[in-house]
Amino acid sequence: MVNSTMYLEVKNLSLSIGEAHILQDISFSLNKGKFLAIIGPNGAGKSSLLKSIGRLYKQISGEILFEGRSTVSMKSKEIARLIAWVHQAGSTSLPFTVKEFAKMARYPWQTALGLDTKQDVEAVEKALYTAGVEDIADREFNTLSGGERQKALIAAALAQGAEVLFLDEPTSFLDYRHQVETLKLIEHINKKENMTILLVTHDINLALHGADEILALKHGKLAWKGDSKTLLSEGVLESIFDTTFQSFFSDGQTVPYVAPKGMVF
Amino acid sequence: MKRFAFPLLISFFVLTMLISPFIGAQTIPFSTLYNGMDEGLFNILWELRMPRVLLGWTVGSILAICGMIFQAMFRNPLASPDMLGVSTGAACGAVLYIRFGFAFSIMGIVPGLSIFAFIGALLATSAIYIAGNLRRGGMSEATLLLAGIAMSFLFGSINMIVQYGSGFVDSFRMMRWSMGGLQAIGFSDLYLTFPALIIIFFVAYVAGPELNLFVCGEDIAASRGVSVNALRRILFISVSLAVGIAVSICGPIGFVGLMVPHICRKFVGTDHRRLAIASLFFGGTFLVICDTAARTLWSPAEVPVGVLTSCIGSIFFLVLLLRAKK
Repeated sequence: MVNSTMYLEVKNLSLSIGEAHILQDISFSLNKGKFLAIIGPNGAGKSSLLKSIGRLYKQISGEILFEGRSTVSMKSKEIARLIAWVHQAGSTSLPFTVKEFAKMARYPWQTALGLDTKQDVEAVEKALYTAGVEDIADREFNTLSGGERQKALIAAALAQGAEVLFLDEPTSFLDYRHQVETLKLIEHINKKENMTILLVTHDINLALHGADEILALKHGKLAWKGDSKTLLSEGVLESIFDTTFQSFFSDGQTVPYVAPKGMVF
Repeated sequence: MKRFAFPLLISFFVLTMLISPFIGAQTIPFSTLYNGMDEGLFNILWELRMPRVLLGWTVGSILAICGMIFQAMFRNPLASPDMLGVSTGAACGAVLYIRFGFAFSIMGIVPGLSIFAFIGALLATSAIYIAGNLRRGGMSEATLLLAGIAMSFLFGSINMIVQYGSGFVDSFRMMRWSMGGLQAIGFSDLYLTFPALIIIFFVAYVAGPELNLFVCGEDIAASRGVSVNALRRILFISVSLAVGIAVSICGPIGFVGLMVPHICRKFVGTDHRRLAIASLFFGGTFLVICDTAARTLWSPAEVPVGVLTSCIGSIFFLVLLLRAKK
């Protein structure tokens, strides 16, 4: 037996729903505290990969190990103490206030009677502060704007007190200001709160500028894995997205921004 | 409003339970309590009214709590146990019992009609349960609801066929049964409904946090650590049993399970522990009030309470829908 040193290991992960092979034979590993971005074209299986690793899809084959422990034998609550989720915010309708919703995220730590302990209260307070939603804590979730909702969802995920944060397209429905704020918040959570991050996005620039490591999927298969420098090497982006790209350098930055060719600014 | 909700609900409950037994075709003046009452009035109060009021409370609260569970579970404000074929299934059992002219009871406590109705209710829900499980990936919300509606129609049509082929007397008994009513003589029905109420309340209270997460969607519930499929099974089975017991004794009483949770939500918010307590008190109170009206308004005749709840319920529901638009 070789003792593995990697924090997360995914081995030969496949997912089929009916006749459709959604994911095929995906293997990769990640160190603790890293920020991994999963990119790829529409329908490549990005969200499915995240849901499979997070055990929201149960009918998978292959192995998923956290610190050498397989998630297959873990109970739902145990997994929830390990992984917190920020799902796509799009049409989420929640009849709770921001604070109530964050409190509900303490579920995996509570017993059947589910009374709030001192730790629960503290975790919620801290999460609301970190995500910067203290001033809207008592507002009904359904009255919030898209940007506020996203922060509220992140606050709840933080309150869950897990080690890893999974985010599914966290910036998709946001305007530019909120995209920037959300990305800053995620980086803060990664660097200061030391949470490992797995994030699905179709925004290459978010991956380039935020993530330590990048993983690209295409047709349900692992197409490419590396970091932001190698992603920009000749032909990599083109082969993933089947279109050509241009790079732009903004002042004083070593990593460029990319846009598909033909998009004129 | 929310701070006074529970004291308000509970005092309303206590008042209703205290006053209702004295009202009916034969009004019993309060003064008889200390002036002494004759044996006839005492029998009406003790053998008819008290059991009836308690039966109304237990059945109303069972239906309300089950409705609350189903609305959270299916993330659908229109979900109620009636929709899953429990009522028509129970009616089918009752209709067949009457058609074949059975007349028996177990130890003189549980009438055969209720047993048949209970079996009918269980058949309907287990058919839905199996249908939901045959499909891969467990029971999806939409599949279950659709299967329930299909089952309702199936049993409903069987009921019609049997009724059509029956004589006048039988067919009237069938129709009367399917209108729902709280006629009780003595306390024997309560031996079943009271434990059922306690158990379903306990289930709802303990599952409160899970129900809160269910309302947020299956993905969120699962990612917070709720074993979605296992919990759904437990809830589905306990709701089926509890509603089966209620319906088999009182017949289908519409709209209580649908409406009461909505009213309670207005008072106490969406937290399902608070909602469970509110439904425990208000579900019963609502049904007892309806039943008091049913036996008083047209006295000495009596309207089936199920007809009255449906009537009040649908009007109330329209008002609720129209007001929500604003």
